[in-house]
Amino acid sequence: MSIAKLCHAVETGSKKEAEDIARDLLNQNINIQETADQLTSTMQKIGDRFARLEIFLPGMMESAQTMTLAMNILGSKILESTSKGEYASKKAGKVVLGTVKGDLHEIGKNIVKLMLEANNFEVKDLGYDVDSMQFIKEAEAVGADFIAASSLMTTTMPHQKEIIDLLKDRDLRDKYKVVIGGAPTSQEWADRIGADLYCPDAGSSSKLMAALLQRK
Amino acid sequence: MSTPYRLWEIQERSNTGPQCDEDEFLSKIFSPTLQKIVKKYEIKYNPKTPVPADDDLADRVWKAGWELFQEVGLYNTDTHRIIKVSDDEIKEALYVAKDQYWVGAGKDAVLWKHRKIEDREPPFCLFSPDCTCSEELHYSMCLAYLKEPLLDGFCAPILEDSIGLKIRSGSPFEINACTQHIYNLRLAAKQVGRPGVFLVAVGTAEHDSGQIAVSNENWGVRTTDSRLIGTLTEFKTADTLLNRVVHCAQYGCYVGNLTGPIYGGWCGGSEGVAVTLVAYSLNGLCIHGAIYNLHFPFHLNLASNTTRELLWPIAVAGQAMARNSKLLYKSGGYTNAGPMTEMVFYEAACHALVSTVNSWHLWEIGAARNKHRNRTTPLEARIAMEVGHAVAGQGMTREEANDIALRLLSIYEEQAATAPLGKEYQECYDVATALPTQEHFDMYRKIKDELSNMGIEFLY
Repeated sequence: MSIAKLCHAVETGSKKEAEDIARDLLNQNINIQETADQLTSTMQKIGDRFARLEIFLPGMMESAQTMTLAMNILGSKILESTSKGEYASKKAGKVVLGTVKGDLHEIGKNIVKLMLEANNFEVKDLGYDVDSMQFIKEAEAVGADFIAASSLMTTTMPHQKEIIDLLKDRDLRDKYKVVIGGAPTSQEWADRIGADLYCPDAGSSSKLMAALLQRK
Repeated sequence: MSTPYRLWEIQERSNTGPQCDEDEFLSKIFSPTLQKIVKKYEIKYNPKTPVPADDDLADRVWKAGWELFQEVGLYNTDTHRIIKVSDDEIKEALYVAKDQYWVGAGKDAVLWKHRKIEDREPPFCLFSPDCTCSEELHYSMCLAYLKEPLLDGFCAPILEDSIGLKIRSGSPFEINACTQHIYNLRLAAKQVGRPGVFLVAVGTAEHDSGQIAVSNENWGVRTTDSRLIGTLTEFKTADTLLNRVVHCAQYGCYVGNLTGPIYGGWCGGSEGVAVTLVAYSLNGLCIHGAIYNLHFPFHLNLASNTTRELLWPIAVAGQAMARNSKLLYKSGGYTNAGPMTEMVFYEAACHALVSTVNSWHLWEIGAARNKHRNRTTPLEARIAMEVGHAVAGQGMTREEANDIALRLLSIYEEQAATAPLGKEYQECYDVATALPTQEHFDMYRKIKDELSNMGIEFLY
């Protein structure tokens, strides 16, 4: 059993196979850093294929779930390697993500979550119909880098502005990068409300957010 | 309301249906069931034939859609339970449903009838800009659309502001905006001499409170008009949506079932979208009590439906429903390009051509992916409706439609991702008179002549 085979199982969403390989790898003297890097790279490739719609959302989801299963099995090895200083998680950033209050749409937000996780971001998903203050409270609680707010309706877009206004009023504006997206939103709207980043589609979100964090 | 006899029995299933964690509904129930059914019925997309003429395929898509709806049901996110409908209830609802309805009032009333594949009856033409617009342009845009000769019904653009204040869903601002929306609409209809015209209103209302606030025979949305009741992607609902089902049934207005299955999303590819369209139609009939469906399947990345991977499911699902039911269903178009570009006219024509020949009624058209404020005009919708009337009148076959669709696709498809945004309403229409500028009209006329040369026999 090899890391390459595990990556292939993740790519094809073969959960049982991935679990078997991961268990087998536990008994081998593998480099956990290399394993994690290769799995992350595999998920990034899958994310890129999904962004081009060479595969569809269910396929991407299967791969992500398979990756999670494999990583859970390798968890004890990861902990062991972390304590020995052989492995350090390279999280790209922490994101508090949700669809704004009054908006029940979530497919775009869920795809952004998948793409971010595939690219090594840590995501706290607040779901949909999320109160503006809750975004802020959760960002404070987890020490987020980003507050990412999605809106699918023109009449719920004002809640994206509300988050920024509340951050300003609570003297927290500079603490978080506020990212907005969703079908009716635009760069013009992002500029108007003072958001740090506008993501035109789910596929580009991870790259744009990583670039923004590097410019910090 | 087509199924009032079971209103409360169906609603009660929100409380008593099988429970399910919301996180698992799509990934563990909807998506695997759809994939299994697509495979079972051997439904295969062929990009070379955006308009197939395969009756057996159409019938398999019908069976697949029925099975999907029956197996999956509709998930209520507020109660975490699934509303399920039995085989007999679906059969009963399909039997009871009428194949025609009078909509609108007085001299403006129109008989809206079920269409068949390659039907010579023209489609019911509902003009709908769908996008948002500036408050100061809303009335002019209503006038401009209501001046359209082929208009059988109208759904106005959506307000973002009302009396200068940003609308927030579920708030007092939304109720105020909904009132403004319907007043503009009713006044514009009266001024152009179509006071009884069939209206689908009000699009400004995202929340049920906004919809309910404007139900009024004298100044608001009448019982001869219609409301749309949507579904959350895919096959999910919430009490705020089901509230509308009950309100519309008890108020007595017509209900339209609004759905937008996403290509690339939980439906997967074109095959899944086709099957989902049929399943959604049954959902609309049985759970929303809809007399018609408005389907706008769209591309996950492009947010449009004029490329072949969306035209194919539109064609196939239309054939499936025409051959196996007497339902009424509208095809909602979304173009990539914006107003006053040649591309938007080609896209609109192609969407209308494919939809009409495959039995749909028309709901045209959201320009520039329906995403940009004020980027919509009646002229791109006009060309779509004129194509619809033309191809119906000449009795165009699916094979002929496929040939013309391929020629149109060869003109615009490669530019889908980089389509021009075009211009805003006030740049191509005179806001005071609500008429197109000469430059805009000339572009429309030029493309109409080109379409005519391709074999579309316009009636005038």
